[in-house]
Amino acid sequence: MDQKLHNLKTQAWAQINSADSVAELEQLRINYLGRNGELNKIAEDLKNLDSNQKALVGRIFNDTKNALENLILEKIQEIRGEEKKGWFDPTVPGIEPILGNLHLVTQAIEEISGIFQKIGFVRVRYPEVEWDWFAFEALNMPKDHPARDEWETFFVDHPEDKKYGKMVLTPHTSSGQPREMQRVKVPPIRMINIAKCYRRQSDNTHVPMFHQFEGLVIDKGINITHLKGTIDFFAKQFYGEKAVSRIRPFHFMFTEPSFEVDFSCVHCDGKGCRFCKSGWHEVGGAGMVHPNVLKAGGIDPTEYSGFAFGWGVERAQLLKPGIEIDDLRTLYSTDLRHLRQF
Amino acid sequence: MDILIPDNWLREFLKTKASPEDLQRCLSLCGPSVERIREGKTGPVYNRVAKAKRIANYNVVYSIEVTTNRVDSASVYGIAKEAAAILPRFKFPARLEIPTPATVKPEADTLPLDISTNPKLTKRVMAVVLQVTNAPSPDWLKNRLEDSGIRSLGSLIDITNYVMLETGHPTHVFDYDRIKTHKLIFRESIPGEKLTTLDKKTFKLPGGDIVIDDGTGEIVDLPGIMGTENSVVNKNTRRIIFFVDNTSPARIRQTSMSLGVRTQAASMNERGVDPELGMTAILRGIQLYKELANGKVVSKIHDIYPNPYKPKKITISEEFIEERLGIKIPAKEVTTILCSLGFGITLQPTTHNLTVQIPSYRALDVSIPEDIVEEIARIYGYHNIPSTLMSGPLPNQPTDSTFNFETKLKNTLKALDGTEVYTSSLVSKNLSSLPVLKGQTLQTPLKLKNPLGKEGEYLRMSLAPSVVRAVEDNKREKGPFHLFEISNTYLPKTEDLPEEKLMLAGVFANYDYRKAKGVVEQLLKEMRVAVIWQAKDQEGYETGRSLAVKSDKKVLGYFGYLNSGHLYYEFSVRELKKCAKDIPNLHPIPKNPPQVEDVNLITPHGVYLAEVIEEIKKVDKQITKVGLADVYEDTKTLRISYSDPEKTLTNSEVEEIRKKILKTLKEKLQISLK
Repeated sequence: MDQKLHNLKTQAWAQINSADSVAELEQLRINYLGRNGELNKIAEDLKNLDSNQKALVGRIFNDTKNALENLILEKIQEIRGEEKKGWFDPTVPGIEPILGNLHLVTQAIEEISGIFQKIGFVRVRYPEVEWDWFAFEALNMPKDHPARDEWETFFVDHPEDKKYGKMVLTPHTSSGQPREMQRVKVPPIRMINIAKCYRRQSDNTHVPMFHQFEGLVIDKGINITHLKGTIDFFAKQFYGEKAVSRIRPFHFMFTEPSFEVDFSCVHCDGKGCRFCKSGWHEVGGAGMVHPNVLKAGGIDPTEYSGFAFGWGVERAQLLKPGIEIDDLRTLYSTDLRHLRQF
Repeated sequence: MDILIPDNWLREFLKTKASPEDLQRCLSLCGPSVERIREGKTGPVYNRVAKAKRIANYNVVYSIEVTTNRVDSASVYGIAKEAAAILPRFKFPARLEIPTPATVKPEADTLPLDISTNPKLTKRVMAVVLQVTNAPSPDWLKNRLEDSGIRSLGSLIDITNYVMLETGHPTHVFDYDRIKTHKLIFRESIPGEKLTTLDKKTFKLPGGDIVIDDGTGEIVDLPGIMGTENSVVNKNTRRIIFFVDNTSPARIRQTSMSLGVRTQAASMNERGVDPELGMTAILRGIQLYKELANGKVVSKIHDIYPNPYKPKKITISEEFIEERLGIKIPAKEVTTILCSLGFGITLQPTTHNLTVQIPSYRALDVSIPEDIVEEIARIYGYHNIPSTLMSGPLPNQPTDSTFNFETKLKNTLKALDGTEVYTSSLVSKNLSSLPVLKGQTLQTPLKLKNPLGKEGEYLRMSLAPSVVRAVEDNKREKGPFHLFEISNTYLPKTEDLPEEKLMLAGVFANYDYRKAKGVVEQLLKEMRVAVIWQAKDQEGYETGRSLAVKSDKKVLGYFGYLNSGHLYYEFSVRELKKCAKDIPNLHPIPKNPPQVEDVNLITPHGVYLAEVIEEIKKVDKQITKVGLADVYEDTKTLRISYSDPEKTLTNSEVEEIRKKILKTLKEKLQISLK
């Protein structure tokens, strides 16, 4: 008996829920709850039960009946809902679904990789714990060279490799240059390497762990105009149509010529303001790949040439308007009050 | 290296009407970067400048960044030379006027001085003995030194610094009478030898350092780096040795770095100063001692210079220049540019190749054709070179990278209330991995030789302690929150770089267990990774309160309560990606509505609900969905959907399946309906 009721309920439930007009629901009401409806047919059988059972099944019967009536009513209201009139306050505050936050560095990395992918760059990531050879020697920086001082390098307490030397935490994404040359073997290369880097420094503008993005382009006939074009493309994509870039002379062992790259200030469009002073912001280095670096990477410098650049992700991102952080270390705070603003 | 150049000093040798701002702009675009202009000390202007009233006196100081390869421009002369080449390109006439000091003859009986060295240790050594009066320096000199960042210490020492700043060659002064032997012998130090520098610090030498010995075995100088206490001039000094040594840059660097004595002289010398400058420096010094300290030359000018500079030549073709620049610069302009920088040029008439002769002061820095290209390009002006994007074939995109997958993970977690953190890979030892039980040893994490502190001495092998700490940092937060991070862990290997294993890890705080698990379930579903959750104890987690998340018997990650009580999950990103389907499996929408019913049952302790659900699903393929609708104490309400793609199931058909379910549950798991 109760089994029958159960089945009836399950069946009616499904039909009511899939109904999509008031007429259909009315028909269902008649079929199940009407005078000659399914429920009443079962009610006939109730009479034949003994009094104990009658009480139990009777309760299930009533529950089922109430449930179906309510469901039909709800469903009718739902269908008629759109026609409902009367006073409605559209200004009532919404109930916001909860949403988390992606870190500012992730947002920058996503944007940067997207920009370079548009012009055919391949995103890669190379070891953070790296051999000296990739981090320095292959980049034309022999052991004990004063140029290495600028890279305040962390050394790992681990036996040296016979071929590749000491184990270090890579102080720049440039270690990805010889890695990429070894991977690709035959150009063209258009690499964008975004990774964590480490230097022994910690103050308002430096953190020991930070992120760089490194571009490397190698092919036949690559020259300074291509480097300038690529940097300018990035500047306009990342900082807006009005942004311009410029390169100035500098020196790195692994590029020749080498450049310092500046982007025009986004706050004042390069006119000069409190934020930039000169109208320009220095973002990092670039240059034409030194022939010794090509050789170290197994590429013939008489046949191919290339350019490279390596900039700080944090630095590039913090130059955008609205993101003024006095102390870079707060960027890596884990305080939710910070993180929820990202 | 940053140097400070007072404007009035520069204009002594550089005749131009360009303002300091013009100088800053032009130099920065084509040469050394002028980082800042600041006000200099007021005071009398050097007499020669005052006489030349034609030019304005700007009382400013330039802070200039000189790159490591251009130690030749780390001086007033050096900057003047650069400016004289660069300014005319911006239509500012500029003329270089560096006077040639007159040659010198001894004015009295020659005093003895014996210098011995060898070419392995020094390229050039020059010395002269002078009779002097030790007086304070005049204000103009003091001001210039102080504007350049050097303290005035009396004329005898000030002149050595002045000559260094002006000419670019470090110089030194000894008290002639304090070196009783009158001998200066260059030699290598013996390990453990001691010396006391003029600032009264005593050092024990590592050995192999270049030192000067007075012939008795006593060290009287640490040449090229700093003088020693026992030979330095003092208020009683009447006779000096003015000394210009060009000592091996590599050795200077080695000693200076190992002793931690980083003087301006050392940082110039270790980069290779032009030995040809030695004569300029010694003559300029003599001139200043005469003018400011009543100097009388009382010895010959000693000059030990066995291998004078022989000009190097580099041949470069016009095509090569064009290839690297991307534009053609006429040969005539190339010649003008290179000549303005002091290079000698010969144009080969037949080949049109240029043979470039390198001046001594650029010998170390210019050695390949690319270096010549740089000189041409920067003076021509990088701003005058056009910008274009490269054409040519595109490289192949590798398909095995996880970048897009990481992006999707992060975006999904964000949508599921996850807040991303970046914590440091460098941690203290106890945060490098999850704590292990007593008696068990874990692999030792990689350690840094030179950490910034105990806090960052090790490379972490697990993200758990870092993410847990991030949660602890937010104790004030009362509502539920969820922090996650995707970062590498570093698993040491004996003879290779560590494995850098990319992990996703997260902690739920103030979260209901089911809601937290639902987030992870939803994440895996969105990533199209089908998994099995298996109750399993593991290191670092509370017993009986953690799960292994598996796919095809491979463990992808874990979920559960850490021993610290935090609700944590972690996955290997690469393993997850391997199990993730790129595209969804589409099924036709069933034509007939499913039958849905709720079943109440009581599960005894020790029976996992996941097992119950799995068992139910296995009963019949017409069971399309089994979910948990409600929990009340030990009673679980399961909502079961039945459907068939071909037809609407009848009540009796559903009843049949239900009977099978109940039978299975009773037989396999001893569970009965409530």
